[in-house]
Amino acid sequence: MQPDYRSKYNTHLIRIIVTLVVLAAVGIVVRAMVLPESFGRYGHYRADAIQDEINRPIRNGTNASCLVCHPYIRKMHLEGVHRTVSCEFCHGPVADHVQDGRVIALLPKKQGAQIRTLCLRCHNRIIRARPRESIKMISMPQHLEEKHVRTDHVCNQCHNVHAPLMWVRQAREIVGVGEDKS
Amino acid sequence: MMDMDAVQEEINRDRRAFISKVFQGTIAGSLLLVIPAGAMDLAGIPEQIPGMRAETGPFITRRKFAFVVDITRCIGCGSCCVADRNEYQVPEGNYRTWVERYIIDDHDNVYVDSPDGGLDGYQEPRTDIPYPVRDTFFVPKLCNMCEKPSCVQVCPVGATFQTEDGFVLIDQKRCVACGYCVQACPYSVRFINPVTRTADKCTWCYHRVRKGLLPACVNVCPVQARKFGDLNDRESEVYKILHLPHVVSVLKPGMGNKPSLHYVGLRREVV
Amino acid sequence: MSPEHGATVAEALTRYIFPNDLHVHWSLMIVLYPYITGIVAGAFIVSSLYHVFHIRALKPISRYSLIFALAFLACATLPLLNHLGHPERALNMMLTPSPTSAMAGFGYIYSAYGIVLSLEILFIYRPTLVALKKEATDVMSAVYTVLTIGSDNLSPRALALDRKVIAFLAGIGIPMACTLHGYVGFIFGGVKANPLWATPLMPVIFLLSACVSGIAGIILSYVLIKKFAGESVDMECIRTCIKFLWGFFILDFVFEMLELFSHAYMATHHWHTLRELLWGPLFGSYWIAQVGIFSVIPFFMLGWLSLFRLSDATVRIWGAVASFMILVQVLLMRWNVVIGGQLMSKSERGVTYYHPGWFEKEGILPSIIIMLLPLVILYVLSRIFPLWQTEDTAAGEESAG
Repeated sequence: MQPDYRSKYNTHLIRIIVTLVVLAAVGIVVRAMVLPESFGRYGHYRADAIQDEINRPIRNGTNASCLVCHPYIRKMHLEGVHRTVSCEFCHGPVADHVQDGRVIALLPKKQGAQIRTLCLRCHNRIIRARPRESIKMISMPQHLEEKHVRTDHVCNQCHNVHAPLMWVRQAREIVGVGEDKS
Repeated sequence: MMDMDAVQEEINRDRRAFISKVFQGTIAGSLLLVIPAGAMDLAGIPEQIPGMRAETGPFITRRKFAFVVDITRCIGCGSCCVADRNEYQVPEGNYRTWVERYIIDDHDNVYVDSPDGGLDGYQEPRTDIPYPVRDTFFVPKLCNMCEKPSCVQVCPVGATFQTEDGFVLIDQKRCVACGYCVQACPYSVRFINPVTRTADKCTWCYHRVRKGLLPACVNVCPVQARKFGDLNDRESEVYKILHLPHVVSVLKPGMGNKPSLHYVGLRREVV
Repeated sequence: MSPEHGATVAEALTRYIFPNDLHVHWSLMIVLYPYITGIVAGAFIVSSLYHVFHIRALKPISRYSLIFALAFLACATLPLLNHLGHPERALNMMLTPSPTSAMAGFGYIYSAYGIVLSLEILFIYRPTLVALKKEATDVMSAVYTVLTIGSDNLSPRALALDRKVIAFLAGIGIPMACTLHGYVGFIFGGVKANPLWATPLMPVIFLLSACVSGIAGIILSYVLIKKFAGESVDMECIRTCIKFLWGFFILDFVFEMLELFSHAYMATHHWHTLRELLWGPLFGSYWIAQVGIFSVIPFFMLGWLSLFRLSDATVRIWGAVASFMILVQVLLMRWNVVIGGQLMSKSERGVTYYHPGWFEKEGILPSIIIMLLPLVILYVLSRIFPLWQTEDTAAGEESAG
């Protein structure tokens, strides 16, 4: 004799199926609510992310932007052989110096041995691999010995860092020797 | 080119007046500024790529940018690495771009190094090379901006993507930092930024390019080893390099990613 | 151009890794995830061998293996959530799964498989749970009400319906279990940039080692649980499991070795990098540990246990030992693949190192905790779902599946 059951034979299966369908529906609704509006506009990504990237703050300027407030040095720099060297390479990014048109901090100026290290980053002949056509190279302390200069001198005692040959050329004019071809 | 007399005249005046006039736009016709006064968000930086600031659509349409690296010119100064780190405040130990030094001895052994990615330049020569050196060169590395990027293919949430103008970018708000893109990149240009806890990589300074500025590394390179330009401009250096008989190559062509970054003077020892 | 192993000073000098390759991004957590899902898939296969393929000898553990699988499945997301830089965004994988990314499959595959496994357990256990509900106290009564979906109907019609559903679930459960672990294999196999991972065999190897780890986990835990409970094990069941374990392990080991042998034989462009890895930092964990100790020895032990007529005690004890060794082998295999693959720099010129700390966020201690948690959950589940069948329940399930 079959005992009486409170549920039908398929109650549990129906409840499971209904639960799964409801879960799926809830999932679809939640997804529609939570999904960023611009997602999928141009592809499988959030289109507004492009504008987010464009809005990233710019930290480095260009040498021309330094001109706005530093025309004297810039003129020297532009006429010298260092015209392709970035101001911000030695001094740091303009965003650390100027914000919203106002100076917020002063940028560091290299001193003493820091200058020698910085110059040798480009001009050291001992580091092989530098194409001779790209850049003039010297090795230390031979360079100082050749020029009959005390070997504890740093580079900017003879070379203006913004226009490295400016004083050298002026000195040659004064003394009356010709251009150094080496 | 700048008119030096005009500049000299300006400089001879009172400096404060000069600056205030500049910012008020009364020297509007001057070559000093190309943007109208008041657009202080760019802090007085003139456009290096004309017309970019006029583009208001989501993608760059008028230009087709190309990035070329010239190995024959790179001196390993690391200015590019410094500029890049300053631009993006990249945490230590992670590199959006770096410069490698290759040294080849006369037994054809290849020695490669990149101390801190070349951030401090190359201060010391290598002293651990037993045979005479026959050749050396520097190789800058950055995102190859592949036409078929494997990083985009594997990103599970659509956080890294390729725009219609060919730039591969990262959505910093959707990335979960699963690290799959880092594994998939054949060139190891991607990393997980420990500060933002998302994936990160070189973007060819998309945010600068859209504002008409050159990428930071291109801007600072003192020897024009990094070149960035518009292929729609037939007079541009990148056009000439990519269309005239220069020897141009890409890294790991066998991967099938079709990198957009081209090298001039790439050597067979470079991977 | 590549230096020979153990050669001169020149080898040390040519080592170069890309600056971004120094850091290993996929840590112990990513070693554990395939290990856990592998055990889940393998345990499910054991259960399906009974429910779908009617291998009668496996009946004693047919229910246990499902509960075992569920206990491990419940913990499978933990290592991943611990690893993500933004775990709060983890649901992005279900909101916007990329159609080209194998990893994007995780959310839906895991959820779907979790549903199938849970439902199969509920349907198989329903008669038992209905009976247990009658004798239960308030809290447990409520629990059993939910688990029986509020139904107390055990009529022949209901049971026949249940059998159909179980057959269906067990049937689709097999390909789903294979997908659950196969897609993980493809996550690695699809990375062309990594010479250790990029092979079409990767999903196959992962799946076979999953089956192996699941069967071994069942054997070992079955023996240990029964020992601690002071009950006897079904030796026919154990012997059958051992034979299946041996069979799957033969396939697994053959594929693993075939993969490596093909690479070595063809010696294409990336072979020198792989060789530098396998004979360098991975020599100990791969050749000595994974292959030498934990593959070769269990291989012969399982063969001996399967082919020879041995006493029950011998089979039980050495079967458990072999199973433990297999579990270690599979963990080592996951380590060697996941970590080993990342040790090679994409510069093709050097290898980096990975030494996880004990107390790092993704270090050794969290790994131990994550591996112990399924056992705790198994214990909790065993209080709700009786792991072993009695005579009554056995009768009700006679021709199930």
